[in-house]
Amino acid sequence: MAITIRQATIEDLEGMQNANLTNLPENYTMKYYLYHLLSWPQASFVATTTDPELDHQDKPSAHETKRDMQYVAPGEKIVGYVLGKMDDDPESEDKTPHGHVTSLSVMRTYRRMGLAEKLMRQCLYSLCENYDAKYVSLHVRKSNRAALHLYKDTLKFEVLSIEKSYYQDKEDAYYMKKNLVLSELVPSSFQGGVEDNLDEDLLESILEEGVGKLN
Amino acid sequence: MSKTAKYRPTASKEENQFREALKLYDSKQYKKSLKVIDGVLKKNPHHAESLALKGLALYYSDTDKASAESYITRALEKDSTNNVVNHIAGIYYRAVKNYKEAAKWYQAAMDHGSTNKSILRDLSSMQSQIRDFKNLPKSRLGYLEDQPGYRANWTASAVAHQLHGDLANAEKVLGRIEDLIRDKLQESDYFEHSECLLYRNDVIAQMGDYEAALKDLERIEATNMVLDGLSLLEKRADYLMKLNRKKEASLVYRKLLKRNPDNAKYYYQLEDALGVRNSPRVRLALYEKLASFYPKSDPPNFIPLTFLAGEEFKQKAKNYVLGQLRRGVPSTFVNVKPLYKNNSHAATIYSIVSEFFETVHDQPLTYCWTAYFLAQHHYHVGSYSEALKMIELAINHTPTLVELYILKARIYKRMNELDQAASVMNEGLKLDLQDRFINTKTTKYYLRADNVHRAIDTISVFTKNDDSPNGLRDLHLMQSIWFIVESAESYLRKYRKALGEHNDTEAKTNLGFAFKRYVSLTKIFEEFSDDQVDFHHYCMRKGTPRAYLTMIDWADNLFDQPMYNRVLDGLSESVLEAVRHKELFLTDHGHKKLKKEEIRKREELVQYSQSVAEDDDVFGEKALQEIIRDEKLDVLVKQQALLHQQDAVFTQIFNFRVNFQLKKYVLCLQSLNKLLALDKRNPFIGYMVDQLRNHLAESTPDTIKKIVSVGLMKNFNKADTANLLETYFGANNLETALVLARMSETVFQTRLSEIKEKLDPYSRGLVSIVQLSY
Ligand SMILES: CC(C)(COP(=O)(O)OP(=O)(O)OC[C@H]1O[C@@H](n2cnc3c(N)ncnc32)[C@H](O)[C@@H]1OP(=O)(O)O)[C@@H](O)C(=O)NCCC(=O)NCCS
Repeated sequence: MAITIRQATIEDLEGMQNANLTNLPENYTMKYYLYHLLSWPQASFVATTTDPELDHQDKPSAHETKRDMQYVAPGEKIVGYVLGKMDDDPESEDKTPHGHVTSLSVMRTYRRMGLAEKLMRQCLYSLCENYDAKYVSLHVRKSNRAALHLYKDTLKFEVLSIEKSYYQDKEDAYYMKKNLVLSELVPSSFQGGVEDNLDEDLLESILEEGVGKLN
Repeated sequence: MSKTAKYRPTASKEENQFREALKLYDSKQYKKSLKVIDGVLKKNPHHAESLALKGLALYYSDTDKASAESYITRALEKDSTNNVVNHIAGIYYRAVKNYKEAAKWYQAAMDHGSTNKSILRDLSSMQSQIRDFKNLPKSRLGYLEDQPGYRANWTASAVAHQLHGDLANAEKVLGRIEDLIRDKLQESDYFEHSECLLYRNDVIAQMGDYEAALKDLERIEATNMVLDGLSLLEKRADYLMKLNRKKEASLVYRKLLKRNPDNAKYYYQLEDALGVRNSPRVRLALYEKLASFYPKSDPPNFIPLTFLAGEEFKQKAKNYVLGQLRRGVPSTFVNVKPLYKNNSHAATIYSIVSEFFETVHDQPLTYCWTAYFLAQHHYHVGSYSEALKMIELAINHTPTLVELYILKARIYKRMNELDQAASVMNEGLKLDLQDRFINTKTTKYYLRADNVHRAIDTISVFTKNDDSPNGLRDLHLMQSIWFIVESAESYLRKYRKALGEHNDTEAKTNLGFAFKRYVSLTKIFEEFSDDQVDFHHYCMRKGTPRAYLTMIDWADNLFDQPMYNRVLDGLSESVLEAVRHKELFLTDHGHKKLKKEEIRKREELVQYSQSVAEDDDVFGEKALQEIIRDEKLDVLVKQQALLHQQDAVFTQIFNFRVNFQLKKYVLCLQSLNKLLALDKRNPFIGYMVDQLRNHLAESTPDTIKKIVSVGLMKNFNKADTANLLETYFGANNLETALVLARMSETVFQTRLSEIKEKLDPYSRGLVSIVQLSY
């Protein structure tokens, strides 16, 4: 573990910029990150490590933040992020409110554990809830197998078009899109777990079910 | 003065021409504007407004940026109470990022009767930028009174009150605009409205009355106008907890978990709300329940591992770890690493995985990831050769997994075989040329091996190189702090190694490069700080005051963050080294002609180190020479002023080092005493006492010597060398060693050798390199 997914704050931006520079060739200056968070404060998310306190601990927890761009607090480093926004290009043809994913990446040593999927689900929910986004769109390199699988198979985006030589190095991009309906986006609903109906008293039900187990 | 006439109504010909020039300037025709101004100045060289405008036009037309300021100053000398001149001065200083001067002259323009109210808006931005919160509310209010039809101006006024510490007035202003606007909202205002409602609620909560805050929250929620459901829930839970209505709070945390079951914080908060923290039995049952709700989330599975013990821990850990290994999750070890803080947990986990390893020989991928896990275990407990054996087993079995090479390289690095480490990382890179992550790692490892050119060649595969020889400029432009800091540190090591080999030219070049990199880093953080400027206005218009306030906090601490401490350590080190080894920079090597070979080499060096298009001091030589001659250390003194956290450990150490070089010993004494109060065992205390006792400059006046020795008596009367050693240098860690490396006396050096024996080979190597220059 000990990875948490949470909404990004301004304090996270340096760590996000660092992760972006580490993982992707499309980079941006800090001002562009600030522009994202100060225009759409709810649209970006990060995955961070945490430093849980243990009951019986022999070695002390780090009480200082490491002098490394990844870290935002002691034991808390940014290992993945999604940078989201609403389309605000005055030249856009489509005037229906829609979101756009500017950048998504996860540090390699934390990949394949579902972080990108979870970051994206938070982002989609939030774009829809806060900004009434009717759909969200993004670009992805034709050769990026991992990302394609994530968008197409896991998140059910559809390919709208191919943009020739979209990237700096002339690689083509798929332009992908997903329609958003808030009630279908609740992040926990993709886990196949029992639903918490919020009615029952958690403690009582634990005690009832679990008397046997507890002894 | 009449309200319409913006400028003094002396309708002379000059005046008309000046207005024409102003019009041209406004339409960005700077050169034409200059021509007209020059006409005016020819007839009347004292025309202050024209002088000022000339300064501005020179600046923007790029014709003569350097003399722009002299026209502004001359104009102000001629007529410092002319509001047009004041306004232009304000614009000029804003453009050159001297925000303090800009604020001063915008303010002067208003004080001297300008009726141009938009100046107030710019003034507010400048005041916010320099954190002049005392005067900010007044200018925001002035603008609001002029333009009350925009909500942005109300928000801005409220924010100004809050920044000035006046929450009650902030709340009042927000309340008034809310009432005024309620029935006039358009769909395009909804987001702004939602943010402003939540902002007002923040302000109420900050006043400390949570009952009122909760009531307000319920009120705004009932309007159905708040879009940000996450904020509503988080705030509600928080207030309920503060009001001790825990049962209700627990329900809110459950709602939060439904939205985001991967935020560990909500689980802990739910526990607190349910009051089960102290009963492991109930706690465990709770997590089992939560895991059934959110089977794919990590926290409900992981958190129990942090409080269970014995057989129960073993069972849970087994499910957790082996499940991930079977799924081939590369981060399995990192996921359980926090548990290694408990020695018995570490042992349990190791035994689980090593037993498992024996049973998976027929499952190739699982076998491989398990070996990878075990190698990380050995690495973590410091058995590097065991780790190496294990990772080689994995690589021989599956030579195509990049992650395995990353770890193998890391082991070599820790063994201080840095070239080998970089070359193993590079093998990994070759397996996946498309992935920038492995490219980044390889670059970093070349830098750690002090092979800077190879590092630059490697990273340049992923940068925008346009017409530069490599990616260095792009990396500076894109603010790649990690790369620049690693390069700087590498140059500093190369400098020390060259000193050790008595290669003066090499030493000088590398120290210059290190200095240049550190200066670039300080500039990047300055850019971050400058980036705020446009947002003081933008956020009010966009309706994001809450996010805006977090930006203010972020920027306030920019120069105090640990990462910036690292930059300042390096910057001061490179400057102080240059001063200590003056001879490198001051001995005139004569203007002897360079040989062909030397010229070629120098050109190559320029290619690999020029980070901006135009630079007349690529080698940092001139800058360092100037610093040495001047002895005032302005580069460092400027940094002292940026450190806001006056009670931070780092601030004391940095100030001490700078002031010691400046021979400001009384200030040094103050830093020492403060550090003692903050962190009573910090090894730098020992260093500082030793410096103040034994290493004051010979020229120090007796009175100062006396003050210092009396000052030291207060806290260190009984601290002889043995005592210093015991109190401040007792720990066997890298930090302590790096301080001792600067202390020449034999006792300290003996203690250093002892510590070095206990360090891992990589850290030991780092210490040895530092010793080379002391
Ligand atoms: C693309 C990326 C963000 C995926 O991150 P991640 O956290 O590993 O992804 P997840 O674990 O959430 O996986 C999501 C899905 O993609 C699949 N996937 C992940 N990596 C894959 C790979 N290399 N090949 C094939 N499928 C892959 C997962 O199996 C999972 O599928 P499932 O839902 O069928 O189980 C990550 O690989 C990355 O940062 N790459 C570099 C930067 C990048 O390309 N960003 C995207 C730019 S558009």
